Amino acid sequence: MSGRLLQLAWRNLWRNPRRTFITMAAIAFGYTMLLFVACLMAGLRWQMIQNGTCLIMSQIQVHAPGYYPSRSIKKTLGGRQGTDVSAMLAAVTSDRRVYAAAPRVYGYGLLSAAHRSAGVELMGVVPDQEPKITILNGQIAKGSYLNARMPKGVVIGDKLASTIGIDVGSEIVLLTQAADGSMGNDVYTVAGIFHSGLDAVDRGLVLMALSSLQDLLHLAPARIHEVGIKLNDITAATTVAAGLQVQLDKTLPVQAMAWPELAPELASYVQFNHAITFVLFFIFFLLAVLGIMNTMLMAVFERTRELGMLMALGMRPVQVIVLILTEAAGLAVASLVVGGALGVPVLWYLQEHGLDLGGATGGVISLAGVVVGHLWYGRQDFPAYGEAAVGLAATALVSALYPAWRAAHFQPTEAIRKV
Amino acid sequence: MLLGLALSSVALMSHAADDQGARETVERVARLFSSKSSIATVKMQISNEDGQRDISMKIWSLGEKVLVRITSPQDEAGTAILKVGSDIWYYLPKSNRTVNVPASMAMTSWMGSDFTIDDLVKETFLTRDYSISTFFVGKRGGVAVEEYTLTPKPEAAVVWGKIILQIRKADAVPTWQGFYDEDGQLVRELTFSEYKRMGGRLIPTRLVMRAADKAGAQTTIEYEDIAFDVPISPGTFSLPDLK
Amino acid sequence: MRSALLLVKIGWRNLWRNPRGTLLTALALGLGLALLLISLGLLDGGHEQTIADGVRLGPGHVVIQAKGYQDSGSDELLLPAQVVSRIEGFLQTAEMKKLVRGVSPRLLATGLLSSSANSAGVRIMGVIPQDEPAVSFIPQRIVEGTYLSDDRPSGVVIGAELARELEVKIGSRVVLMTQALRQPGVETKKGAGEEMQSTLLRVSGIFRTGLQAVDANIIQLPLPAAQTLLGVPDGQVTQVALLLQQEGDSPMVARALLKQLTGEPVEVLTWRESIPMLAQILGLDHAFNYIMNGVILAMVGLGILNTILMRVLERRYEFGVSKALGLRPGQLAVMVIGESLALTAISLALGLALGLSVEHYFATSGLDLRWIFKADLPSALVLDPILYSRLSSNRIIWSVSIVFAMTTVISFYPALKAARTELPDALKGL
Repeated sequence: MSGRLLQLAWRNLWRNPRRTFITMAAIAFGYTMLLFVACLMAGLRWQMIQNGTCLIMSQIQVHAPGYYPSRSIKKTLGGRQGTDVSAMLAAVTSDRRVYAAAPRVYGYGLLSAAHRSAGVELMGVVPDQEPKITILNGQIAKGSYLNARMPKGVVIGDKLASTIGIDVGSEIVLLTQAADGSMGNDVYTVAGIFHSGLDAVDRGLVLMALSSLQDLLHLAPARIHEVGIKLNDITAATTVAAGLQVQLDKTLPVQAMAWPELAPELASYVQFNHAITFVLFFIFFLLAVLGIMNTMLMAVFERTRELGMLMALGMRPVQVIVLILTEAAGLAVASLVVGGALGVPVLWYLQEHGLDLGGATGGVISLAGVVVGHLWYGRQDFPAYGEAAVGLAATALVSALYPAWRAAHFQPTEAIRKV
Repeated sequence: MLLGLALSSVALMSHAADDQGARETVERVARLFSSKSSIATVKMQISNEDGQRDISMKIWSLGEKVLVRITSPQDEAGTAILKVGSDIWYYLPKSNRTVNVPASMAMTSWMGSDFTIDDLVKETFLTRDYSISTFFVGKRGGVAVEEYTLTPKPEAAVVWGKIILQIRKADAVPTWQGFYDEDGQLVRELTFSEYKRMGGRLIPTRLVMRAADKAGAQTTIEYEDIAFDVPISPGTFSLPDLK
Repeated sequence: MRSALLLVKIGWRNLWRNPRGTLLTALALGLGLALLLISLGLLDGGHEQTIADGVRLGPGHVVIQAKGYQDSGSDELLLPAQVVSRIEGFLQTAEMKKLVRGVSPRLLATGLLSSSANSAGVRIMGVIPQDEPAVSFIPQRIVEGTYLSDDRPSGVVIGAELARELEVKIGSRVVLMTQALRQPGVETKKGAGEEMQSTLLRVSGIFRTGLQAVDANIIQLPLPAAQTLLGVPDGQVTQVALLLQQEGDSPMVARALLKQLTGEPVEVLTWRESIPMLAQILGLDHAFNYIMNGVILAMVGLGILNTILMRVLERRYEFGVSKALGLRPGQLAVMVIGESLALTAISLALGLALGLSVEHYFATSGLDLRWIFKADLPSALVLDPILYSRLSSNRIIWSVSIVFAMTTVISFYPALKAARTELPDALKGL
C-alpha cells in the first residue's frame, strides 16, 4: 500500500465528518464496553477461583507420586524417610510466582465423644504457616483457632459439633489406623468451632496441629503428605505447577497439581465464563459488521462520481478495493484508539474501586468467607483486550468487502455522469 | 472366633447336588475352631514393607460375642475389642476411653494385617454359601491330600470366585486354602502348619495369610493355647468392664 | 386527520423508494432484536442449566424428606410409607405433571462395599431405575456397562474411582455390607444386636462425573434391594427428589406440596434450602447475567443509534426538497415519525422471525460450547457442554418493547432535527 493511498483513504474518511464520527463513536463505545466486560469477567473468574481454593484446598498441591487421589497415609513426600520440610518449603517459595507455602498431613478416622462417634477427615497444619495460604482461620465462629498454647487442640465444623453434641472445651477421642497399622488414638480438646458454609467441610473436617497428627499417625516429623501453595496470580496455576514439578523433581519425585485438576467443576465453570465473554465479543462483531457496512456503502455511493473519475484516470479496480478497505481499516483503528482511551479510566476504576451492584446479587454473598457482596472488582485481561481489538479490525475489513467490491465494479463512464 | 475366620461354620442342611463326602469333610474341618465358647492365647505377627510387628492377645468367644484383649507390645497392651452382634467397641488405654465403632466404617485391613474386617465381623459360612466338589486326590509334596473346590452358590454374599481347600488325608486337618477372584486369579492364600493337640482337638496352630500381589507381606497367627467349651460368664462381654 | 393519513401513506411509500436501503436498515435493527433474543435465551438457559447441573447431583429442585434430615443427616430418619404415597398421588395430578419433569424416591444409607481385592466405605443410594435418570445425572455419565434396570435386581452402579480402588470391572462380584437401619419408635431387641446384612451385587455399570467425591463414594442400586438390605419396610424412603421443567417454579411447587402434607413430620425444601452453597454461587451467576444483558442492550442500542442517524443524515437533501415544496415542519415531522414507526414494525417483525427461529434451534439442539472453548478442555467435563436456550414469553415481550422504545426514542431527535433543518443547508448536501 503506497503512502498516497493511505493519505487518500484517511482524507476520504473525514470528508463527511459527521457520518464518520457517528460510526466511529458507536464502534469506540462498543469497544470500551467490551473492555469493561472483559475486565469484569476476569475479575469474576478470579473471585470464583479464590473462593474455591482459599478455604482449604490452596491453589497448587504438591504430593508424592501416587498419593492423589487415594491419599494413602503411608505415601508421604520422600517415601518412608520423608524429606527436609523446611528445605522443600524454601525451594517452593523461591519461585517468585509463589506467594506462600505450608506443609499438610492428612488422615481419616473416627471422632468419638460421649456415646456418639462420626467418621472424620483429619488435617494437620502448622498454625502460623497455614493462614498464609488459606483462610479457615478467619472462619472461627466460637472459641479460637489452633495455637501453640494448646498443642492437643482441634478445630471442628459447626455441623459436626452439633451432630456429636460437643462444644468448645469438650474432650474428644480420635481413633485412626496409624501408618504402622496400629490403632492410633489420643484425647484432644475442642479449641474452636468454624463455619465454612460448605456442608461437607462443616460436617467432616477436623483441623489440628501438624505435629499432633503426625504423632497420632505414628509418622516421623520429616513425613508430610502435601505442600499447599498460594500464588500471586491464580490464573497461572497450571504453568507454575508444571514449573515446580520440574524444579522439585531434581531433589525427589513429586507430583504438583494445580487447582483445575483438583477441582474440575470449578475449572469447568471458569471456562464457561470465558466462553460467554467470547460469545459477547461475537455479538458485538456481528452488530459492528452491519454498522460499518452501512457506513461504507453510503460513503461509496456518495462518491460514485469521484471514484468513477479516479478509475477513468487509470486507477485499477484492485486499487479501488484496497482504497475502500484501507478506509475501513482506518475507521476501525481510529475507533479502537478512541475506545481504548475511553477504556483506560473505566478499567482503572473497576480495578481499584469495583462495581457496586446493589440489589442485583440479592444481598451480600459470603462465599467461603470472602465477602463477594455487591462490590465486584475487575482484573486486567490484556489478552482479551487484544483479541477484541483484532476481532474488530477483522470485522471492519470483512464488512467493507461488499462495498469495496461494488465500488470496483463502477463503470467509469456511468459513474462520472452520476449526480 | 477371630480364627474361625475362614473356617467357622454352621451346621446346616447340605445340598444333595454336592459331593456328599466332600461336604462332610469340609464341614468337619470348618468346625475345627468352632464351639459354644472358647478362650485362646494368640500371637499375631504382621510383616510388610514397613517392617514387622508382633502382637499378643487373649480371645474369649461365647456364641456371637467376642472379646479380644491385647497383651503386648507395651504401647498397645490393654487395648480391647468387644464385638456383640454387629456392634463393635474399642477400649483404648492410651486415651482411657471406650469408643463405639460402626462396623461399616472400620478400617479395611484389621490392625494393618492381611486379614480384613470381613474376616472379623462376618462369619464365613462355608457349607452354606458354597457348593463343594472334590478337585484332587493324591500327593502334594509327598503328603497325601484331598483338595476341594468351593464354588459360591448364586446368591451367596461372598466376593470370591472360588476357594480351594486342601486337607491332609491322614488326619483331616487343613493344610492350605486359596481364595480366587472370578477370573480365576489367586488373591490370597492361607497356609496351615504346626499341628498340635489343644483343647482336645488336633488343630493347626500356625496360620499364615498372604496376599498374592504383595510380595513379602504376610500375617502369621500362632495359637499358644486354646480351650473349647469352657464356661465363660456373659459378664465378660459387658461394656463397662471393658477397661 | 386525512392529511395525517396521507402523510403516513407517503411515509410508507418513501420507505420503498429505496428498497435496498430500507431493507438493510430494517435488517440492521432487526438483527439487534434478534441478537438480544438469542443472547437472553442462551444466558437464561445457561443459568437454568447451572442450577440443573447443581441440583441433579443431589436433591433436585425440590426435595421432600423427614423433618430434621437436612440438619442431622441421620440415615435413620425416613419418610413414612403413607406420606410417600400421598406425595406420589399428588404428583400425578394434571397440574403437577405439567410442572414436574422427574420424580425420584431414594433410600440413602452408608455401608461397606467389598471386592476380592479391597473394601471401601460407600454412600448407598437405593433408586428406582426408571425414575432416577429423570432427576440425577449419574445415569447419564455411565462410561462402561449399563445403568440399573428392574430385571437385574442385584445390579449396582459405582463410580470410576471406586471401581479403580476395588479393582473391579463390569460383572464383578461385590458384597455390600451394612447395618439395618434402626428406626425411632420401632422396638429393638437389646443384646441380640442387629445383624450386619450382606448382599451380593454385580457391577452392572461404571459412571464418571468428574467429581472425586461422587466417583469414589457413591453407589446406586435398585430401591427394593436397598430396602431389603437395610431392613426398611417397602414404601419407606429417605427422600423424594423432584426435577422441574423450570427452576422458577420451585417455591410454588414446594408450597403446594407442603400444603398437601400439613401435619406430617416432613420438610419440603427448594434447592436453595437444600444446597445453600449452590444458591450462593448462583447469586453470582445471576448478577453476571444481569451485567451481560445490560451490555448487550447497550450495544444493540448503539447499533440502532448508528443505523438511524445514518439514515436520517442521508436524507437531509430529500427533506430539504420536501420543505422547499411547501411541506410544513410539523408535517415533515409526522411523516418522518410515520416512516420510523413503519420501519420499526418491519424491523421488529424481521428481528422476531430471525431471533425466534435461531433461538428455537438452540432450544432444541443446543449450542455446543466446545466450538468456543479453546484447546484445553478439562479432562473430565463436569458441566454439560451443550447449552440449551430458554426464552420465556416474558423476555420476548420485554425485548420487543425495549427495542421498540429505543428505536422510537432515538428516532425522535433526528426527526425533530430534520424538521427544523434550514432549507439552504439541506439542499446543499449534494
